[in-house]
Amino acid sequence: MKRNENREGIKGMANPGRYGIERFAYWLMRITGLGLLAYFIGHIYETSNIVNGKTAWENMLSMTQTTEGHVLLTLVIGMCVFHTANGIRVMLGHGGYGVGKPARPDYPYTPASQNNMHKLCIYASIGLAALAMMYGMSVLFGE
Amino acid sequence: MRESTIMKIHYGTALAAVVLVAVHVLFRVTMMNYEDSLAYENVLANYKYLPYAIMLELILVLLSVHGFNGLRVILLELKQGRSYEKAVTYGCIAGMAGLIAYGSRTILMASMGIT
Repeated sequence: MKRNENREGIKGMANPGRYGIERFAYWLMRITGLGLLAYFIGHIYETSNIVNGKTAWENMLSMTQTTEGHVLLTLVIGMCVFHTANGIRVMLGHGGYGVGKPARPDYPYTPASQNNMHKLCIYASIGLAALAMMYGMSVLFGE
Repeated sequence: MRESTIMKIHYGTALAAVVLVAVHVLFRVTMMNYEDSLAYENVLANYKYLPYAIMLELILVLLSVHGFNGLRVILLELKQGRSYEKAVTYGCIAGMAGLIAYGSRTILMASMGIT
């Protein structure tokens, strides 16, 4: 087999089905991070209109306080909550918490670090993000 | 700077930003209803309240450092090389400095009433 035939590139790397929920969390962490950075830059630009007077501020609000704007903001809330909760999990993992004790590698070589606690934390992060999005929607669209 | 030190800064800025952003969001939804909190007079009053303005500046610095370092980490995971890594690092530092400067200008002007 040629070297190139087995090369899936970024598609193979992104495939969450092959490597489980940990790989899915890895990608979600990066995608939400980039999304939040883009929103942050947009938010700095949006709020800078306050120095141009009341009319400029209200013009900017009329563009962002729309149904599409609220849907975007709901997504931002979800990204923010997932990024925070999963980030705390990653920090604890890097600090050695919840990754299991070092032991002799025996068959079937199950990695201690990829245990149920971390998997549960990833699912909890996704659940928390969904709850925060629901709360955000109730505030933005009115209860 | 050592990569381990950069990661400690990355985690430190993240934890501090979580607390301050929570206060920033609570200001929008607990002081009055969300729509009213975005009224021009109320937003300007927020900027003129010194502790809040200082908090906004801190959030700006913390999130800029965290965000652009995160972007640098993602870009360095995708590709490596001496000149590429230098370009990414200096590009991210420039982006971070630019964003902090632009955001600080808004905070300073609004808090001093130059509108």
